[in-house]
Amino acid sequence: MMAGRTLGQFYPVESPLHELDARAKILATGIMAVGLFLVDSVAGFLLIAAAVVLLVAASRVPSGTFLNFLKPVALIVSLTVIFQVFFSREGATLLEWGFLEVHEGGLVRGLFLALRILLLVSTAALLTATTAPVKLADGIEDLLSPLKRLRFPAHELAMMITIALRFIPTLHEEAQKITRAQAARGADFSEGGPIRRARAMLPVLVPLTIGAFRRADELAEAMESRGYRGGEGRTRYRELRFRARDALALAAAALVVIGGILV
Amino acid sequence: MRVELQNVRHVYAPGTPFEVEALRDVSLAVEPDEVLGIVGGTGSGKSTLAQHLNLLLEPTSGRVLVDARTLKGGELRRRVGLVFQFPEAALFAPTVEEDVAFAPRRLGLDEDVVRQRVRETLELLGARHLAGRSPFALSGGEKRRVAIAGVLAMAPEVLVLDEPTAGLDPATREDLLGVVRALREGGTSVVLVSHDLDEVAEVADRVCVLEEGKVRAVGTPEEVFYAHPEASLAPTTVRVVAPLREGRPEVGRPVRFEETLAALKGLLEGRG
Repeated sequence: MMAGRTLGQFYPVESPLHELDARAKILATGIMAVGLFLVDSVAGFLLIAAAVVLLVAASRVPSGTFLNFLKPVALIVSLTVIFQVFFSREGATLLEWGFLEVHEGGLVRGLFLALRILLLVSTAALLTATTAPVKLADGIEDLLSPLKRLRFPAHELAMMITIALRFIPTLHEEAQKITRAQAARGADFSEGGPIRRARAMLPVLVPLTIGAFRRADELAEAMESRGYRGGEGRTRYRELRFRARDALALAAAALVVIGGILV
Repeated sequence: MRVELQNVRHVYAPGTPFEVEALRDVSLAVEPDEVLGIVGGTGSGKSTLAQHLNLLLEPTSGRVLVDARTLKGGELRRRVGLVFQFPEAALFAPTVEEDVAFAPRRLGLDEDVVRQRVRETLELLGARHLAGRSPFALSGGEKRRVAIAGVLAMAPEVLVLDEPTAGLDPATREDLLGVVRALREGGTSVVLVSHDLDEVAEVADRVCVLEEGKVRAVGTPEEVFYAHPEASLAPTTVRVVAPLREGRPEVGRPVRFEETLAALKGLLEGRG
């Protein structure tokens, strides 16, 4: 059914960002993430923020939809800002009101932290919005494949990610069905305190878990009956191609981040 | 108790690209003491309609009336029991007894009344011997019986069964149809939602045919099935008898298997 658009959902349109190789996008997101922790100036943040805004525009994801992706973190961001602003006693005092004091250092730190989280989430949302889950998993597998020599299960990991992503909507639908079935038997999920409400969820969680295990069994059998025997010698239907433009995109991301750190 | 849908329309995901109009202006009543069969193909709106009978789904427009009054969803759910498709997916308690006791306990009944309800309901469904077992260790047919008992233990005035026999063996299926008849004798109305015309023909007092969210026909099985004796709209019995009726009106309009057998026998003997 309709799960609503939330963080980390693929938005299927055609755009230059959608066309890029998944590996390039994963690496670029990684570079941005690391870089954001090193940036420590207003100019640096502005540079990266401008780059992110440009990328969102290039992704052809409507800005309203994109802002929706950020909604889930709004609470965390505002909490961090509040804590930083009121509980940090660094720099000149700007405001005093009873036991609350706002210091310059706290304000700046709070702002930086908020920007850092928002930009981090934005780049991650850009990655998942412009990369189909299957391609994302393929990209991760490929990037991790050098670790196979160290017996790191790269293929298995990618397969797990793909399957997990594939079954989120299925489980969501199943949960809704069970919830309605229990509601028909008089279950009420909205009354009482948190503990009573958690207990009220048991009639949904138990069958949901059992169903998930049954599904896993069935899926394993279906995969085996179609000849799946792990990653060894397995070819791909979608071949990954790292082209010049992917290298270019990666270089651009690195440049922006280095620029952001240096200014 | 009479449940009536008045001009009910239901739209899933309104205002999105996934918008689907599942019910369009459906008016239909479940009369007291009857078995109402609701038939139609996949996607005809049967399950959506079933969920309106206890207001688990609210109509987008239109009304659901009980004895000419509107009731709140919670109140209605105590009086109209709804068994979903594959209800065994919602079994959750460690024992069959506990699982069946869930709904009557939610009604706030005394513990001994609950126990008695559980015993009677399991008895009715021929699952009394399973009471102490884990619902997850049962066979498919046994699970289905237990899951239906879980709703029936509320002693609803109307029981709505959505595809209760899907995927069952013929014996369990016959048993369940027997339960439907027994409930009706006991004064509980039953709404049987099914795509299996043969089973509806066996137990229904009235039949409603849904097509693309609209009521295409409603009436007694004879009326409805003999008006459209095509393969997709009539049970096997009617499809056999309808062509034989030409020039032999004395065959009548049998719908149930036994009636049909008797009518055909009569025809053969009359000729001999």
